[in-house]
Amino acid sequence: MDRNQLKKWFQNPVKMAHKYSLHVVYFCTGCGIIEIPPSITARWDAERFGIIPVATPRQASLFIIAGYVSLKTLRSIIRTYEQMPEPKFTVSLGSCPINGGMYYDSYNTIKHLEKYIPVDGMIAGCMPRPEAIFVGVTHLWTLIDKDMADGYKRYRSNYSAYRANQEKILGKLEWPPLFPIHGEE
Amino acid sequence: MHIIELIFSPLLALLIGVFFLGLARKVMARIQWRYGPPVTQPLIDIIRLLSQKSASHGVAFNIGLVMSLAGSLVITLFLPFGKIAPMSNSGGMLVILYLMLIGPLGMAISSGESANPNASIGISRKLLLAMGYELPFLLVVLALMTAYNTTSITEIVSLQRDTGWSMFTFPLVLSGIAYLLILPAMLGVRPFEVVNAPQEISSGPLVEYGGPYLALATLQHALAFFIGISLFVNLMWGGAANPVIFFLKMLVVFFLGIFVNAVFPRLRIDQAIRYLWRWPSLIAFAGLILVCVTGS
Repeated sequence: MDRNQLKKWFQNPVKMAHKYSLHVVYFCTGCGIIEIPPSITARWDAERFGIIPVATPRQASLFIIAGYVSLKTLRSIIRTYEQMPEPKFTVSLGSCPINGGMYYDSYNTIKHLEKYIPVDGMIAGCMPRPEAIFVGVTHLWTLIDKDMADGYKRYRSNYSAYRANQEKILGKLEWPPLFPIHGEE
Repeated sequence: MHIIELIFSPLLALLIGVFFLGLARKVMARIQWRYGPPVTQPLIDIIRLLSQKSASHGVAFNIGLVMSLAGSLVITLFLPFGKIAPMSNSGGMLVILYLMLIGPLGMAISSGESANPNASIGISRKLLLAMGYELPFLLVVLALMTAYNTTSITEIVSLQRDTGWSMFTFPLVLSGIAYLLILPAMLGVRPFEVVNAPQEISSGPLVEYGGPYLALATLQHALAFFIGISLFVNLMWGGAANPVIFFLKMLVVFFLGIFVNAVFPRLRIDQAIRYLWRWPSLIAFAGLILVCVTGS
């Protein structure tokens, strides 16, 4: 943790501020959300690293998807992700967004979240303990440090592929494309 | 020298306001037995927010935000901070009373443009709450002006230097108590945190603010915090001749507000209005009558 190294602050204040001021939208439909209250309250206290929950995607910079994603919530996840201001980071929690987890044969949940929105980090487990969330956040810091947490850039450059995947599973989307789609004609 | 003060005092107000925001988070964390973020955390947040890109929601969205921030910055020129009082000789209390409305009004215009239902609920709550605390506040200010026979805030401060803090001098005791009772509502801390309730209405008027817009809104919030505390210290706790002493007095008031914030749950807006228009208003009215009867 290099929050107290003034030299780094003067070299690149923006990157350091992105690391130590992660405002989080927790997507609370999966079972993983039960691990979030201990991590933000007195027991593990995420606020000491500047991580606080916010109520709207406009104010957020980190998007934590806690648990399985059904088709209905995928729609809201995409809309929430697109409303967040760039730079934005996504972390998924639990096995289900990685490969379907215990819902691997369900007709109504998606199996690979990273097909539909870019995911910067995945915390495996069913469910991961709050400590695992902190380990995930420290990994995210490393990624931000090395400019490897570039999910939002991938979303911009590969938007037509992401949009095609979204339309394939959700049918016709009722909102306009966020970025211009290439190769439509 | 005057020009330096004109530039310096809004910057000082911003600095102290942001410091108070950070200290509030730290103190709240310590009360809840957490370690808490560093005191510089709001500054880190502001740097991040300024570097993000976000959507604007129209011309009135931008203008209202700037208007609100500018209105709050102008008030800091009229409020004496110890000896630093660049424009407090002109205007006095009446100008401050007018300008205090610009902050909420600008935010109302701005977040009204964002066309989010949560923002509309937040604005209506904000204006209702303002209506709730303005009545006792005006009664308190009227009592002060009658007692000291002046509308100038510097004169009120300098008169208190001879007579002692107005909160503890005889005819103004009731007004002081009333002001202390409405102070949490004016600062917008927890029993009256109905406007920005994140759990109920998704942080109210700020629901569509992101990136640099949220940074400006945070600065405005910091300034509003500063103005509320500074006005109380000037009017009731005798101001100070020395900026350091003034800052210490502000810190004491700030801690009182944070302790109230830490232990009380949030009221509903109708409960808040009922409270504000009953006890503080009655006490303030009694204080005004007391001042008029016992006055020279």
